[in-house]
Amino acid sequence: MESLIGFVNSLTEMPDTYVRVYIATLRYAAPLLSLILLLRCAMPLLTFRREPEIWAWLCVQGGEKLPITHWENVIGRSRLSDVVINFSTVSRNHAVLTRYDDGSWTITDAASSSGVLVNGRKVSICALEPGDVISIGGLEMTLEPISAQQERRLSELRTKAASIWSSLGNVLLLSIFQFLLASAYGMAGVERAGEVLLGFGGIFVCQWALLLFYFCIRRSSFEVETIAFFLCTVGMAVIASTVPEEAVKQLAAMVLGVVVFLGIGWALRDLERAKKMRYLAAFAGIGFLLITLVFGETYNGAKNWLVIGPLSIQPSELSKVCFVFVGASTMDRIMNKRNLILFIAYSALLCVCLALMNDFGTALIFFCAFLIVAFLRSGSVGTIALAISSLAFAGVVAVRIAPHALRRFTIWRHIWEDTMDAGYQQTQALMCMASGGLFGLGPGKGWMKYLFASDSDMVFATITEEWGLLMGVLTILAVVALALFALRSAAVSRSGFYTIGACTAAGILLVQVILNALGTVDIVPLTGVTFPFVSNGGSSMLCTWGLLAFVKAADTRQNASFAVPLFRGRRRDRE
Amino acid sequence: MNRIARRALALLLLTFLLLGGLAWFLWEYAAQAETWVMHPGSPHVYDDGRLASGLVKDRTGEVLLDLSNGRTYHSSALYREATLHWLGDREGNISTPLYSYYTAAMTGYDPINGLYRYGSQPPSLNLTLLAEVQAAALEAMGDYRGTLAVYNYKTGEILCAVSTPTFDPEDVPDVAGDTTGAYEGVYLNRFLQAAYPPGSIFKIFTTAAALDSIPDVLDMEFSCTGVYEMEGGEVTCESAHGDQDLKTAFANSCNCAFAQLMERLGGDTLANYVQWYDIVDSISFDGFTSEEGNFDIRGAAPVQIAWSGIGQHNDLINPARYLAFVGAVANGGTGVMPHLVKSVTLDGKEVYTAAPQRGDRLMTLNVAETLRDFMRNNVETSYGDENFPGLTVCAKSGTAEVGGGRKPNAMFTGFVRDAEYPLAFFVAVENGGYGSSVCVPIISQVLEACKAAMDQWDGF
Repeated sequence: MESLIGFVNSLTEMPDTYVRVYIATLRYAAPLLSLILLLRCAMPLLTFRREPEIWAWLCVQGGEKLPITHWENVIGRSRLSDVVINFSTVSRNHAVLTRYDDGSWTITDAASSSGVLVNGRKVSICALEPGDVISIGGLEMTLEPISAQQERRLSELRTKAASIWSSLGNVLLLSIFQFLLASAYGMAGVERAGEVLLGFGGIFVCQWALLLFYFCIRRSSFEVETIAFFLCTVGMAVIASTVPEEAVKQLAAMVLGVVVFLGIGWALRDLERAKKMRYLAAFAGIGFLLITLVFGETYNGAKNWLVIGPLSIQPSELSKVCFVFVGASTMDRIMNKRNLILFIAYSALLCVCLALMNDFGTALIFFCAFLIVAFLRSGSVGTIALAISSLAFAGVVAVRIAPHALRRFTIWRHIWEDTMDAGYQQTQALMCMASGGLFGLGPGKGWMKYLFASDSDMVFATITEEWGLLMGVLTILAVVALALFALRSAAVSRSGFYTIGACTAAGILLVQVILNALGTVDIVPLTGVTFPFVSNGGSSMLCTWGLLAFVKAADTRQNASFAVPLFRGRRRDRE
Repeated sequence: MNRIARRALALLLLTFLLLGGLAWFLWEYAAQAETWVMHPGSPHVYDDGRLASGLVKDRTGEVLLDLSNGRTYHSSALYREATLHWLGDREGNISTPLYSYYTAAMTGYDPINGLYRYGSQPPSLNLTLLAEVQAAALEAMGDYRGTLAVYNYKTGEILCAVSTPTFDPEDVPDVAGDTTGAYEGVYLNRFLQAAYPPGSIFKIFTTAAALDSIPDVLDMEFSCTGVYEMEGGEVTCESAHGDQDLKTAFANSCNCAFAQLMERLGGDTLANYVQWYDIVDSISFDGFTSEEGNFDIRGAAPVQIAWSGIGQHNDLINPARYLAFVGAVANGGTGVMPHLVKSVTLDGKEVYTAAPQRGDRLMTLNVAETLRDFMRNNVETSYGDENFPGLTVCAKSGTAEVGGGRKPNAMFTGFVRDAEYPLAFFVAVENGGYGSSVCVPIISQVLEACKAAMDQWDGF
């Protein structure tokens, strides 16, 4: 009889032992799996070969043939021009030669001193026909675009994105990661386990659906998306231990985010369409802020919430995406300084709105995005004007928001002097992070859930506490990989529009990670900004997926991005 | 496009900012993670400023205190009162450094795994104390104020150390509103935090100094008429002890003889020995640090210097420190520092194990042997071996005048010479009266309880 009771007892204790062994193993397996996954995704993004492509030849009088290596080319005397013509009558930046998706070319005068002549007629912008004689500073030349056959050859030689098998492997790894995490939270007995499992499952379904869609449209690169889904999975883990009741809501936001990602990607696919969308985005960007100003609700000192029935959204997050759209521009426009002044005026308007809303964190991100756009567009020429306007920007923000933000600045680097009040959040976060060691305390074992904003502003600490410092560092490196990819793509990007868009988007992601993760650990002042893809919050999720579309659009590898049309060789052959 | 691609490198600045900031944080983490975890506000370690989980056990495994859920003390009120000064109370009036000192060991923190633990058993802090002897000591002290401690002079383990008055942490009395004086200094752990005038137990030390520094001290003759006139006053005894050698003078605790001895020894020499033997220094173990004693003969008249050698004048000793000194005599001249924590266990593993802390040799074996012989003689001739059945006890009593019309403090210290019971003890009874008559019955009960416990439990 006693042995029977003992046996029954051992049975009921058994599962407990299993769970313990499982989680003890998973503590090491999860970061290891993440590391492998990130390496597999980041390596092709950071090492793909960027070979120069020749799209046309510029035949200068006297027989010299200059290669045209981009879709947007500045012709000028300056050493930094894409086509350098060292001739005293040629302006430093004289004209911009632009190729279009259909293979046609235009030339635009870039406010040169002597102007651009096509077939002897002075033009400011002109579509080039074969045989047209272009005259720049008295130098005559003709454009010889490459033939359709050459173009096909070029497209065949272009660096291929990862094979569909490699992407499949990555998503499979990610799926294993999700399964392990979901089962761990299930076993650890978190509240509302059903919703949590649905959350993980939803990400799983969504990523496979997107991969299938890519497969159908003959795109095979999925690294950027895999990294994003990986971060979303980590975010779901945070939600599982902090606010499990919001798992489904966050999943819905992510699905919507993917839709936004595809939508913006589609918009960017055609540069002409994208340029038109720019005006829409400009109105939307300012519109979101104005609506919030009028109808918004104030939480934690910032009037940045819009409550519509059961939905509460942060329109300023959506404005970020619009701002990137507005900031992006093609080379021919960049050479026209009037545009920058308009852009500065637009930014100033946004800044006034944000100042009135008291939203310090967002203002800071907009400010950084503004700086990035302004620098990319103006380079050295407009820097002085920029510095002045940015100073004014910062000044307005600082003066308006001073009482709200000042406290955070005075406690910065002094959090241990006031662990009970002003430094409470961050010191608690650091204590929790250190308690987790390198591999974490395990799912649901954290204390961070009792701390304010542990699922958003302090999310870096929540990850580190439960899954360890290594996992925390990996989430940061994941975003760094995305940013570096955007930077690398810049050199081979088809248009300044894509480069500026991708770099600004990447810059915003970086700034958010800096403010979020480094703010949590008191390296920079705490500003209450979300961690891309990881922080709980629907608007933020939509915004980050929208930004990712810009990064994706700059990817010119063959068969990589749905935002870049495939070379339609056959169609052109028929013509 | 070249231009924009070149400008895009500015993005690297942000990347470096992020990676640099991350590296900075990782450096801070590497340097300070343990400090952060052990911070009093650390939610995984502390609960409202107190260690959140853990058991405190006596050396037999008896759970004296469960730290989780706001503390649960032992079920016996006597045990609770007897161990209060070591375990602390809920209100923090009696605080103990034990938990903070052993937090790292008890939480099992390590830089790789943090506070993660595979098992779920609470950590346990295992004391060297024997709860039943502790209780016996408290009962033996009765209503007296003072302290009583016994420690193993071979291993340094404190078997019992009580401080009275005490109270029941589960039934806290109105200490502030008390007018009877029953709770005078109740928050003090007198073993550590008191400094008493030693009275004649100081003669152990003076004799050790004399034996060590005066070659022919054993041939010296002292005569006592009850009063010894000196420059600046006189030294008195309660009766005339006649002619004595040092051993007899020590047994009689003859003040006049020690005054003559001090004239030969000199105050400065004694002051040097105070330093060499660390007699008035504080003593530290397991996070505790004791009160310092006092020995100051600067500008003192010869008679005051003489009284200093007798344990009066302005002499003060701390019980824990003096016990360690007596332990050194017992151990043949080399002391072993007392300690309270035997081990810390976590998930069945001993993560901390105390090792005997051997001090420097204080005196030659010869000096120690002679002192042991003198102290043994005291018990044989005056305190009575019949008070310590089965034990070979060596001791010295003291009756320390405290002035102010109050009864003198009764002091008694010594050790058991038997190899199987290597115990040194110290008793101080405040305003108790005559040293040996008050203390002998008390320590006799406690040593008997120690002997019984040591006979019963293995592992001593």
